[in-house]
Amino acid sequence: MQHTAFEKIIVIGYGKITGDILEYIINRQKEYGFSVAFIEHEVHPFGVTEKICRENGVPFTRIEEKQKLAAYLCAESEKTLIVSASNNFLFPKELVEKENITIINFHNALLPGYPGRNAPSWVIFAGEKESGITWHYVTAGIDAGNIIIQKRCEIGADTKAFELAGKLMELAFEAFAECFDDVVREQARTKVQHFDTGRRMYRSYEVPADGFFELTEEPAYIYRLLRSMDYGKNGIFPPAQTEIRGKRAEILRYRKTAGEAALLAERTKREEERGNEIAEKEAGSVENAVSVSENENTEGFVYLPLAENRVLKIKYRML
Amino acid sequence: MEEKVLEILEEHCEEALDYDGDSMMEDGIIDSFAVIQVVSDLEEVFDIEIDAKYVIEENFCNKEAIIELVRKLLEE
Repeated sequence: MQHTAFEKIIVIGYGKITGDILEYIINRQKEYGFSVAFIEHEVHPFGVTEKICRENGVPFTRIEEKQKLAAYLCAESEKTLIVSASNNFLFPKELVEKENITIINFHNALLPGYPGRNAPSWVIFAGEKESGITWHYVTAGIDAGNIIIQKRCEIGADTKAFELAGKLMELAFEAFAECFDDVVREQARTKVQHFDTGRRMYRSYEVPADGFFELTEEPAYIYRLLRSMDYGKNGIFPPAQTEIRGKRAEILRYRKTAGEAALLAERTKREEERGNEIAEKEAGSVENAVSVSENENTEGFVYLPLAENRVLKIKYRML
Repeated sequence: MEEKVLEILEEHCEEALDYDGDSMMEDGIIDSFAVIQVVSDLEEVFDIEIDAKYVIEENFCNKEAIIELVRKLLEE
């Protein structure tokens, strides 16, 4: 039996990484002798943790209300390690400062950079070429505690927010497995975070560029903005918006496609298939944009030229 | 239509093609990130909008459920 002073490990979070970490801790449980419990604070449409708990006899508790969750955790009397993985609950100061409680958290960026929410979005929007993950101890400040481990990854020219988030979760699991023994033995060598003055904290209500772009802006910028907001149907951000012929339109989807030849083929195909009127190139109203309008009142496509003979194809819906 | 759906599944989650159970997520065949990719490609290939209300486990529990979802959306 390996030694740890922790009597209990509580995992809190949602999604894939939470399930992976929960399974890892359960598999290490016998070596150390601690008990394991799981708390679901945010329900995930494709959650797997309940099944993992059921199959392994691990207590599963769902507490969606913040105050109830805080009270529940504060009532913990055993020496407890709380593992916060993909969790948006902010641990209150009174809990963080309890002597029998240690909390570690996974942040999906390289701290001290990009603290707060939706870091993959802000990293992509800023045009960073690299990001990564940080496991750190939790203190009363948001994402401010000492760093336990970090791992880095590249950001590709076409990487979308959900793809980066997925990659970061893989890295977070790898890093967790690497530092687990040091953490439970309380032997982790940590690094203090040094903050610049005016360090920006990203809030949950903030959206890159407020989720709006003009079609006259650089297509590369528009593509970056759309990628930074792209979490599929997860509804993390509302759909991006633009203005078409003086009216607001929301973006339904976008795609980087092959260049001019493919664009012409697409236009021809749509013309033949639907018999709709294909709008003329709107160089006058929307500079450098090629717009194919299928139905001016509802939905349509905008094509914008990208570098290397690529085209950004955007489907919109008029609001 | 079925063939195109299977092509998309093959690209993002090959294991789904041979899966004959009824919970790809719980059985670790597909994860939420692959679902996002599949949804994105289905929308593009079939020129349909898959509202978030349809992106639930029930509609992605196996390949047959996904094909059925696309069929339903194409008929709307």
